[in-house]
Amino acid sequence: MGKRKVSALSGLNLQVNKGEFVAIMGPSGSGKTTLLNILGCLDKPTAGKAVLNDVDVTKLPEKKLCEIRRNKIGFVFQTFNLLPYLNAIENVELPMESTKKSRSERRRRAQELLEIVGLSGREGHRPHKLSAGEQQRVAIARALANNPDIVLADEPTGNLDQKNKFEIVRLLGKLNIDQGTTIIMVTHDGQMAAHTERVLLLNDGKIMKERQGLHLVKKKLMCPYCGAKIQLSDARCPSCRKRL
Amino acid sequence: MGVFTRAVRNISRRKMRALLVIIALGFSMAVMISVPAGIVANQESSQNMASFLKGTLNNLEQEINTTADQIVVRNSSTPASTGFPGGGFAGGQYRGGGFAGGFFNGRAEGSYINEKIVNASVISQIPGVVAVVPELEHSEVTLENITTRFGTRPFPEIEYTIWGVSLNSSLIDNYSILPTNVTVGRNLHENDTGVVVLSQNSSEYFGAGVGDTLSISGQNFKVVGIYQPSSNQTRDIYMNISDAQTLTNMTGEVSQFTVYAQNSSDVDAIATAISDIPVSSSVAQTLSITDVNTLENNLSNATSLYNDALAAAQSTTSQEQNTAIQDIAIAVVATSLIVLFVMLYTVRERTKEIGTLKAIGFSNWNVMSQFMLEGMLLSLGAGVVGIAIGSIGASSLAGVLGLIPAASRNSLFGSSGSTAFRYSPGAGSGVFGSAAAHAATAVITPQLMLIALGGAILLGALGSLYPAWRASRTRPAEAMKYE
Repeated sequence: MGKRKVSALSGLNLQVNKGEFVAIMGPSGSGKTTLLNILGCLDKPTAGKAVLNDVDVTKLPEKKLCEIRRNKIGFVFQTFNLLPYLNAIENVELPMESTKKSRSERRRRAQELLEIVGLSGREGHRPHKLSAGEQQRVAIARALANNPDIVLADEPTGNLDQKNKFEIVRLLGKLNIDQGTTIIMVTHDGQMAAHTERVLLLNDGKIMKERQGLHLVKKKLMCPYCGAKIQLSDARCPSCRKRL
Repeated sequence: MGVFTRAVRNISRRKMRALLVIIALGFSMAVMISVPAGIVANQESSQNMASFLKGTLNNLEQEINTTADQIVVRNSSTPASTGFPGGGFAGGQYRGGGFAGGFFNGRAEGSYINEKIVNASVISQIPGVVAVVPELEHSEVTLENITTRFGTRPFPEIEYTIWGVSLNSSLIDNYSILPTNVTVGRNLHENDTGVVVLSQNSSEYFGAGVGDTLSISGQNFKVVGIYQPSSNQTRDIYMNISDAQTLTNMTGEVSQFTVYAQNSSDVDAIATAISDIPVSSSVAQTLSITDVNTLENNLSNATSLYNDALAAAQSTTSQEQNTAIQDIAIAVVATSLIVLFVMLYTVRERTKEIGTLKAIGFSNWNVMSQFMLEGMLLSLGAGVVGIAIGSIGASSLAGVLGLIPAASRNSLFGSSGSTAFRYSPGAGSGVFGSAAAHAATAVITPQLMLIALGGAILLGALGSLYPAWRASRTRPAEAMKYE
């Protein structure tokens, strides 16, 4: 940065398997966003490589990276980053513009995604007419537009209240289970991280610790607290009433 | 949702900014449109006047050829006529004042020959004279104030001209004193009175056809014929000379005598004899005699003036074309720079949005085309505004830029050196001492509009090229951090 070299990441080795829901936690400046940018082909490491589906993306030209971002990766940002001059459905359709899908196909897919994220009936609303939680849902729907292999969420709950935080993390978990989408979520919120499958602790550019999250157990349709059987759609365990 | 809709929506997000930019660019475009319109108008005007003058000179040559045996006798206070009745010129419109000043409204005074002093019978006694044709010419003149670069000046506008001719059968049959090419009705006959023959233009001017009654200065005349003039579209009315004298309160006066010689070789002797006719010193009346020699001198002078005027016009046109190129170059640069700075600011303002677009899979080309389209749409809007401004004020703009002078005098007189002419062919104006000059009118043609719109789009693309390229080169990771 400036004239001084700063190592955002150093000696980091990470493997994420297909279908996993991983949280990367760390304090501010630990390199979380840098890691996510590299994974998302938005940036290139000065040394090392990033392999996506057996392809070393660090060696690819910008044109190829653009295709990968379009077809294989979905992004969810902390500040939602919706285009203010487009309504909800138009924002969701945006990533599909450069694909070969027809207009009606795009519209249908966008409608479907908004239903999945629970925003049926709000298609025509522009971002300024949606709440923060609703905007983030639209962002998640947009990230899923081209059926990506992997969704990268950078502090997706950072700008939300407590209730909406849980709603968003639940939504991501549901998508992970229903659609098998690999999700890597960067967060500094331990509570939110706990609801993922794997939690990686990042500090000073290195992964310091790894632990299991509650989501792994949920995947097995068991309450992670009391072991009772649960449904995927349960917000609380029917037995111990703890929030899932 | 496509790139075009996004571009339109982006522009309309900042309506006031877009509007101001479009208006500013619009004026630049208006200049670019008005310049070629002004050049074309000026060239057309010069060409038209050159054709008109050439035609007039040709007519004069023809008249000289056909009137080698004629002498025209006028009152010397009248500028020497450079034409003959029925010819291309209407001499004697500027009476007593010429073309440098002293315009009259209505009838001019002191320009006629009193028949008590000099009359046809006196002249006909000169050896070698076979016929003397008296004629009365009177023009109704109105003064119109025209703004020139020298200030507001009154210029005479000839409404119509009355030609009183002697309806004597020997004269009618042997000499061209009446109009030819009567297309409707009949010509004047011997001793006709209370009837007129009109030129086509006069018929349209008065709204009178054959058989109608025409009222002139309170006196009624029956229209018996309409003729088609061969050259200038003059508004002429032919009638018996006595009717004309009564109508114009000039009984006993004529404008001129046309004297026909037996042989063209006698013309000089006859002219000398006419000039020796004693006239009373108490009457301020000296005779001006115009024969073929005078006409040939006049033709030579006119040709020389014509050539000088053409050369001046060509030089002025060349200068104006250089000026036009400079004006257009400045307008092009200004337009491109305005678009460039506006789009650079827009790209900077939307850095985060560019990062988002790239993150969700937009290619460099997608991003670049988005911003170039926005620049082109702004310019297109400016083109429309420019056409609107140009349509209303092209002449004024071209005038401000020095391409079309305000109404100025005919450059044959060198008084202004301008190449903007005004001629009133419908009013019987002559070249020497013609009516006031019109400024040329710049017109925005449909072709010019299409070129303007195309040029606007091109300039928009040019101006937004660099900002769009910069936008496409934005690194998404850095762009996402931009606030």
